[in-house]
Amino acid sequence: MALSNEKWAEELGMLIGESILVVTRSDQLNLFGQTFRPIFAGTLREVGEGHLTLDPVTIKMVTAPFFQFPVPLNIPLENIAHFTRHFAPDKVFPLT
Amino acid sequence: MKRFFHIVAIPIRIVLNQFGDHNPNGMMYVLKENERKVKRLVKKNPFTPVELVQPLIIRANAGDDIEILFENKLPFPAGIHMEEADYDVMDSDGAEVGFNHSSLVKKGKKTTYHFKVNRPGTYPFSDLGNPSSTEKGSNGNGLFGALFVQKRGSWWTHPETGGPITSGPFADIHHPFLPSFREYAWLFHDEMETDDLTGNKPINLMTNEQSESTHAVNYRYEPLGNRKKLVDEGVVCPECDGEEVHHDSWVFGDPATPILRGYKGDPAVVRLVHSGVKETHVFHYHVHQWLKDPSNADAEIIDAQSISPQSWYDIEPLYGLGSMQGSIGDAIVHCHLYPHFEAGMWGMNRIFDTLQDGTQYYPDGTRIKALQPLPDRPKPPKPTKDKPGFPNFIPGKPGFKAPRPPLGIEGGRGLTQLEKNAAIENPRPGAVFADPCGFNPEAPIVEYRVSAIELPIIYNRQGWHDPKGRIFVLDEDLEAVLSGEKEPEPLVIHTPAGTCVRIAFTNLLPEIAGGDVFQMFTRTYEAGFHIHFMKFDGLVNDGANVGWNYDSSVLTGQTIHYEYYADVELKAWFYHDHLFAAHYQQHGVFGSGVIHPRFTTFLDSKTGEPVVEGTEITAVHPLIPDYRDLSLFVQDFTLLYNRDGKPIQPPDYPGSQDDPGVFGVNYKCEPLQFRLKGPGDPAYSFSSYVNGDPITPVFKCYKGDPLRIRLIQGAQEESHSFHVHGMRWKAERPDVETRFESQKHIGISESFTLETLATHAGDYLWTFATEEDLWNGLWGLIRAFDEPVEGLIQLTDQKQRHPVPLLLPEPDGIPPVKAAEIDRPASAEAPLRRFDITAFHVPLNYSKYGEHDPYGIVFAHKEDIDAILNGLKAPEPLILRVNAGEEVEIHLTNALTPGHFPFEDGVWPYPEVKEQAFYPPSLRISLHPQLVLADVKTSSGETAGFNFDQSAGPGETIAYRWYIDHAFGASGLWDMTDIRNHRSLGTFGILIAEPRGSEMLDPVYLTEENKASSIVLKHPFLPETREYVLVMHDGVRLEDKKGNLIIDPADGILGETEEEDLFDTYDQGSRGFNYRTERLIRRLERHEETAWLFSSKAHGDPSTPVFEAYPGDPVTIRLVNPSERRRAHTFRLHGHYWNADAMDLTSEVKSFDGPIITGHTADLKLHYGAGGWYGLSGDYLYRSGNIRWDIELGMWGILRVYKRMQKHLPPLEMKKADPK
Amino acid sequence: MKALSSNERHEEGLIQFVSEHAGAKMLAMTSSFPYFFIGRIIKVMDDYVILSVETTNVAELENREWHLHIHDIEVFYIERDGWPAIPDLKETGGDG
Repeated sequence: MALSNEKWAEELGMLIGESILVVTRSDQLNLFGQTFRPIFAGTLREVGEGHLTLDPVTIKMVTAPFFQFPVPLNIPLENIAHFTRHFAPDKVFPLT
Repeated sequence: MKRFFHIVAIPIRIVLNQFGDHNPNGMMYVLKENERKVKRLVKKNPFTPVELVQPLIIRANAGDDIEILFENKLPFPAGIHMEEADYDVMDSDGAEVGFNHSSLVKKGKKTTYHFKVNRPGTYPFSDLGNPSSTEKGSNGNGLFGALFVQKRGSWWTHPETGGPITSGPFADIHHPFLPSFREYAWLFHDEMETDDLTGNKPINLMTNEQSESTHAVNYRYEPLGNRKKLVDEGVVCPECDGEEVHHDSWVFGDPATPILRGYKGDPAVVRLVHSGVKETHVFHYHVHQWLKDPSNADAEIIDAQSISPQSWYDIEPLYGLGSMQGSIGDAIVHCHLYPHFEAGMWGMNRIFDTLQDGTQYYPDGTRIKALQPLPDRPKPPKPTKDKPGFPNFIPGKPGFKAPRPPLGIEGGRGLTQLEKNAAIENPRPGAVFADPCGFNPEAPIVEYRVSAIELPIIYNRQGWHDPKGRIFVLDEDLEAVLSGEKEPEPLVIHTPAGTCVRIAFTNLLPEIAGGDVFQMFTRTYEAGFHIHFMKFDGLVNDGANVGWNYDSSVLTGQTIHYEYYADVELKAWFYHDHLFAAHYQQHGVFGSGVIHPRFTTFLDSKTGEPVVEGTEITAVHPLIPDYRDLSLFVQDFTLLYNRDGKPIQPPDYPGSQDDPGVFGVNYKCEPLQFRLKGPGDPAYSFSSYVNGDPITPVFKCYKGDPLRIRLIQGAQEESHSFHVHGMRWKAERPDVETRFESQKHIGISESFTLETLATHAGDYLWTFATEEDLWNGLWGLIRAFDEPVEGLIQLTDQKQRHPVPLLLPEPDGIPPVKAAEIDRPASAEAPLRRFDITAFHVPLNYSKYGEHDPYGIVFAHKEDIDAILNGLKAPEPLILRVNAGEEVEIHLTNALTPGHFPFEDGVWPYPEVKEQAFYPPSLRISLHPQLVLADVKTSSGETAGFNFDQSAGPGETIAYRWYIDHAFGASGLWDMTDIRNHRSLGTFGILIAEPRGSEMLDPVYLTEENKASSIVLKHPFLPETREYVLVMHDGVRLEDKKGNLIIDPADGILGETEEEDLFDTYDQGSRGFNYRTERLIRRLERHEETAWLFSSKAHGDPSTPVFEAYPGDPVTIRLVNPSERRRAHTFRLHGHYWNADAMDLTSEVKSFDGPIITGHTADLKLHYGAGGWYGLSGDYLYRSGNIRWDIELGMWGILRVYKRMQKHLPPLEMKKADPK
Repeated sequence: MKALSSNERHEEGLIQFVSEHAGAKMLAMTSSFPYFFIGRIIKVMDDYVILSVETTNVAELENREWHLHIHDIEVFYIERDGWPAIPDLKETGGDG
């Protein structure tokens, strides 16, 4: 069933273009030795049947909490542990 | 399964090497079945080592019940105290503690101990019946061993025969579902009393003075001095002189010290134990690396491990023997402290590539003992005439130095036929018998041309200098460095992971060295490039001269090529020369390489131009955050002269290894004695307004920049403690789940990467925090700017803004002002908690024997001042408890008055620090916290760089604001206005960040109480817990009840000592817990029975804290060391164990914490609660692990677990689930 | 026919989304070693995406085909027309 972007977003209770914080399931991820918890803040750009896309997206690394990843990230809906809406990417909070 | 051992403690002569060095008064544990045999063998061989005379090593499986029938044949009450095990402290503690029954036995008697061993690992045991630090003490004489507990279902065989084995340091361990592996016992020990063949104290032939103390492994040591005799007497090649040659088996045959044998690729474990009494050693094992915590795949990868007394670590080399590249040959294993290395604390891991069945011989005719292949691995090939295997393809000549490697040296030789047969497919310089870069043929190749040179180095603006500095330099920088255009600094080379690194090393060092007041004349004719971490061919590429390997170094003027593969370690790899390290490494012969993530490029932080080297650069990456890369190398034994040519801290005689010289960091120092400009107040020593910026590194970054600090010790022998005020990092960098820390103990050759950032703009003070280091200039700054400035590029992945010119204030000698307003570091919703603290003078009573410090200065809560001054409340170090999520506001009032300091000029005859000078006691006060989030400009508790004044003058009050962002547990608090005159007197405490929602209660009255050292912690979602605070501190100056000065350690040693120890500065001073001590000499004076030293029946309870609990009570111990000296301590608690990292449930479980030094913090959450696994009542001893000299000097106390309900101690509330 | 549960719909939707982009370049992060992949999507087989992997954390595992279990990919990004390009990663030994 092909719905539009906006309709898929509505199914999840969100609006395209809003700022959200998403945390996925795993303990930690690893990029070239840089480890971090999978905590992402960004603008909801796209939602599909099985995924959502944040663009731009900030990875809240404990040593670089405002690091903007060079490309957008697609997040499989089944991997989302929890998310919260209306979350500004420059909000400061403890990361441990 | 039940296992039974009958163990006897006997006196025995211990011969430590083939030269006849021996301990006539040795003591050992031995299996009863071997007792007669070992005595007979020793009688027949009075001057050669006897294989059975080694520390007792026995084995069991996890889950076993161990029964030990212990028989004592020594002339004093003795026992077996086993660490890590579960047991009843009333009959199996191997001690007599508090009100426990004694589990020691007199001579001629027996007793039975029962232990349960639930976890695989090492369970060291030793005696606590005779804890004297003199040469009559038991541990120093060899009374120690270990139980190795294997995984359930294991069994073991003798590595030579494949048959059964009941005890012994080496065994092959097998299991139905796991790979077989080689197990090697490696028990470091020190200070054993040793005589030479003639029955006299050994003399060092080079200096004609008494030799260094004995430092050994498994009762064996092979000192340079003995082997040198053979060279001097012409028994072996006379041109075989040289420091490193004493490891050469071609010249001398194999050493008496342990040789750990295996085949290439064998899985192996080295069970490292510190069974010694005094020093913190550094275990280093060439060619191999391992996980710091073997139970955590995300732990740091290291290749050097500091180990303090009575600690242990399991070393499991990654990829098996020979590492990933399959290197063969001799990999030396040693204590990296150079004087110890020279004194004989080394052995080898010998990796064979051909089958050894006992029919082969070493080049000198010694038979090669058989070595059973591990049953689940392919058998190595049998040696043939064409391929005889290591070491018989190496073209050396016994009695002469090892040959140089083929292909590596410019102008050197090619391969012999035998070498060709043994070589890899494409042998090349630096990679002949193993191919480290071979896994990745596409790896980019980077070559560096490096030379070692000698030049004078100036260490500070007052003209302290080393006229004989020796450093590594890139060839392309030679001219600039030698002409003075480029300031000498340790050479740091940067490469991304996945690179094949080639070094062309040229030895430009002069052959002449020493010949001055510091050092004897030495002919330093060869040098090499020895590295840590990266993968290489150990035989030709080690930059050393070990065992039957080649001598991979070059003469003056020659060049040698090395090759290494930088795989994934992502940290700094240490390098140095291995040929004359004990002689000249402290002159600067060290550097590092940093392996960065793949795809990183390196830029000069000032100009943005690409660079390959530098102690301060910017790393740029397309996918992960850019970062600043900063390197710090700490040095000791730094041999300097002042501007008038006078030597600074020369030793008693040239060549002495007794802590000569002073200290440096990156070849610089900024001693505090020269930082008394303006008002001449120590409180402003770190202020750049008053004294200017230091000459030591002032690193630059912008607020929010990620930082990677590479921390390395370049030289030479001592422990140091690195601390950054205002910053913190994860303890195990690859693992996000580990705890935060802001302090790191470091020993020689260790390497740490600390990943952090500057949360606020301002100047962050970094220090080597012990008093003597800081006094002698080991500190600097990290300067974080708010706005982009010229001369510091911005990180490319941040929003680029227009830079402004860099304008720093001019130092004018005038102290800065206090901040007018302090920003709230937390968000507006954070609850605010306020503390009013006062600093004031009050004499401190340290013990019930009247030992006291008349000059004490304490921090206390305002409401407690009167009670303390009236003697109604005994002062304790300040304890602040806060909940995570709170913002803390401190109001610190200064009630100090003049005339209350012991030395008005700041020169302390005792306890000393090196190079003391005028430094009048400051009347100001401050309070620095670790681990909190705060604005470093206003609330870090020191006045550093161009930050505001954060101290209070007499009568003044200063405010700080800290945000406790998470429950980080214990953190240290201490004053920073006068690190010389205040710290010994008690100006420190502890801050504890508890979980949100915690309530704190007095354990007796159950009323609200958050200031005491023993409380009950209550929480709606967590178990009720007893929390105990232990502030472990040293460097104290005490007087006895008559007002006479107590000079420790000398005045505290139990029994007569022949040794005329002039105690090192870092051993001086009294010590204890929470301003209390219970020196054993006071107890010995009352009853001359050593077995009763810890008994409360004989002496009453100790003056140190006695904590109380019921069996099963959850217990958390908050442990900090906020005080001064550079001697690292170990903390132990009998009968209990905990996760080494309180934040990580999967971290290894240990019964000790250490090395503990200034700034150390730990949270020990006891598994199964008070009383341990069995939940048994009794008195459990907590103490230092250092027999020299901590235990005697009072660093011990009791955790009392009651059997019956006590009227004065209410039980904890145990929550029970509601039945539905 | 039984209606699909939310989980199943999301999972199917995700597989569909990835299949639609065969031939495109994909970046994937996983909580399991080696934690990171960049490669071209060859095709989707059952619930696996087959990537011709150019880059991972470790050089020795590159330049080969990897079958990634789609549901174990924590977050990912697929290059599409009009969307940001995945940065090129070249090994230069450090001099850029």
